[in-house]
Amino acid sequence: MKLILVTASLLLGLAAISNANAASIYAGQAKAEAVCSQCHGIKNPSAEAPFPPLAGRDADYLKTALKQYRDKTRQSDIMNAIAGSLSDDDISNVATYYARLKP
Amino acid sequence: MINIAKTPLRKSILTALAALVLPFGAQAAADNAKDMHQLFEDNCASCHGSDHGGFLAPALNSETLKGRSPTALRSLIMTGSFDTLMPPFYGRLTDDQIRGLVSHLQSTPKLANPSWTIDDIKKSIKVYVSDESTLPEKPTYAIDSMDDVIGVAARGKYGRGSGSKAVFINSTTHKQIGEIPTGTAAHIIDYNPANPRWAYIKTDTAEIFKVDLYSMQAVRSVKTGFNGPGLGVSRDGKYIMAGSFVPHNAVILDADTLEPLKTFELEGIDPDGKMVSSDSGMVIGTPFDDIFAIALENAGQVWVVDLKEGFPVTKITDVGRHLHDAFLSHGGRKLMIASYDDSIVAAIDLKERKIIKKLEAGCVPHVGGGSAVEVDGRTLGFGTNFGDCDKTVVSVWDLDKMEVVKQIPVAGGTESPAAHANAPYVAVDIISKDRRARTVQLIDKKSLEVVKTLDVGGHAYFPEYSADGKFLYVSAGYSGDEVVVYDSTSLQKVASVSMESPAGIFSHGRVRYMTRGLSPDEMKGAK
Repeated sequence: MKLILVTASLLLGLAAISNANAASIYAGQAKAEAVCSQCHGIKNPSAEAPFPPLAGRDADYLKTALKQYRDKTRQSDIMNAIAGSLSDDDISNVATYYARLKP
Repeated sequence: MINIAKTPLRKSILTALAALVLPFGAQAAADNAKDMHQLFEDNCASCHGSDHGGFLAPALNSETLKGRSPTALRSLIMTGSFDTLMPPFYGRLTDDQIRGLVSHLQSTPKLANPSWTIDDIKKSIKVYVSDESTLPEKPTYAIDSMDDVIGVAARGKYGRGSGSKAVFINSTTHKQIGEIPTGTAAHIIDYNPANPRWAYIKTDTAEIFKVDLYSMQAVRSVKTGFNGPGLGVSRDGKYIMAGSFVPHNAVILDADTLEPLKTFELEGIDPDGKMVSSDSGMVIGTPFDDIFAIALENAGQVWVVDLKEGFPVTKITDVGRHLHDAFLSHGGRKLMIASYDDSIVAAIDLKERKIIKKLEAGCVPHVGGGSAVEVDGRTLGFGTNFGDCDKTVVSVWDLDKMEVVKQIPVAGGTESPAAHANAPYVAVDIISKDRRARTVQLIDKKSLEVVKTLDVGGHAYFPEYSADGKFLYVSAGYSGDEVVVYDSTSLQKVASVSMESPAGIFSHGRVRYMTRGLSPDEMKGAK
């Protein structure tokens, strides 16, 4: 029992650190693959796709844009819906992941 | 809107207007159906089948879509479907087009088998280089041996457009040496066994491109049907045979000019005694003889076509229920063909032209290009399976004695095994629709156990070894958009090559070792 408690508190501690700390690019990668890459690709969207590339874009720009889509100050049916499902952490993680990629 | 007035005069005008408008409305509906069909052909048919009967992707017709919510279908078309090849059409099609398509699909039955005759095939030939004597005599790029060429079928995100091409790579440097735009998704790449300069690419819409690998350009193309990847080249390099899903036919072409020589209607009596019209499964040439073998998927038959006057056919019946792909062994004399619905692989003797034995093959066997390796004096065949039921194994057969050696448990369904005489592992692609799809598992040739799992990314499939066996190539498909290269012994990643939705990988070395994993010496006994 004690072991479980110690483990749990350690895990909580870790979670708190990762929250407080810089974004997790691993979480960002998972989110990007599950949510963004279908349209924007990972390194590049399709040559035929009407979607902008995200890889290598400025992280702050990506964060601002996603937050604007989320609070609907920037209009797009599909992006308003998708960004609406993202938390602050998700946005930070995804933006950091894409910003680090070379297109 | 027209303000409906109450005076009799206005009423009569309205009636007159209606008389004018109504027939026009009926005409518009017919035009609309035609437009919608064209939209389907231009965007959906390369995967879903030109006859609405399904191909790589599900059938879309009034029967299969009965009761489905139009709203759900509309959003599926807009966003695409994750973990599949279905791309997002948002921004490519207007909302009106998408709504129109949904109602068109939900009201259109599967179409009758369309015709595509030998004359249609003849007329479809396009010549890009009319005088082939102007082509260079040697490769225009640095390469030690043409066997080092690896071709990748890049589908392109939408299965068509500028992302759809065959990409050729030097498998010793891992650098791209050329690319051939194919218009729609490239599916199969085959090489001419008699002349290393020629390659043939077949697309999902059944065009075949004859490619000069020395100058990396297409010299001719021909359209052999509407859908279907079946393609084989004869051992003397003089003939090509192509088989289609839509329509149900096959054709033998002159490998030089792509002129059609004979077409075959694919139909026959299935193992349950029913006469059926059939999709074409695999088509294969063999170093063993001047023949082609072609699988009739639904009829459960394998036809052996002799490459002589009249192209006579020997029919081997009752091979299995829903045949698909196959590989060769024993100098190309033995053909191992997978049968989906009864989960067997049937061994066929191409000399005697009869079934040797039916072997257990996991669950819904899909052997891809197949693999065979010699271990401790035995020739072992490896067969992957989709594993749609409860069994996810890779089957290992003793191809001398024709018996099951082992069924190796793997992490999920698999689609294609790769082996090489000089590489320690047999690689299989896990295709189960979750994070496992990112991975490839490696089976030790000697212990026949899974010893390592590689996280490749994307939807990892179609592993292939370089001709020297030193490198393992894997497609990180779907949105992975790259081919990843590993050192085949250390399994360290050594390179990646970017392209859109890569799928099948085809080493030129296959013409030397026939089936992946066999030593080129195996071929010497064939002639």
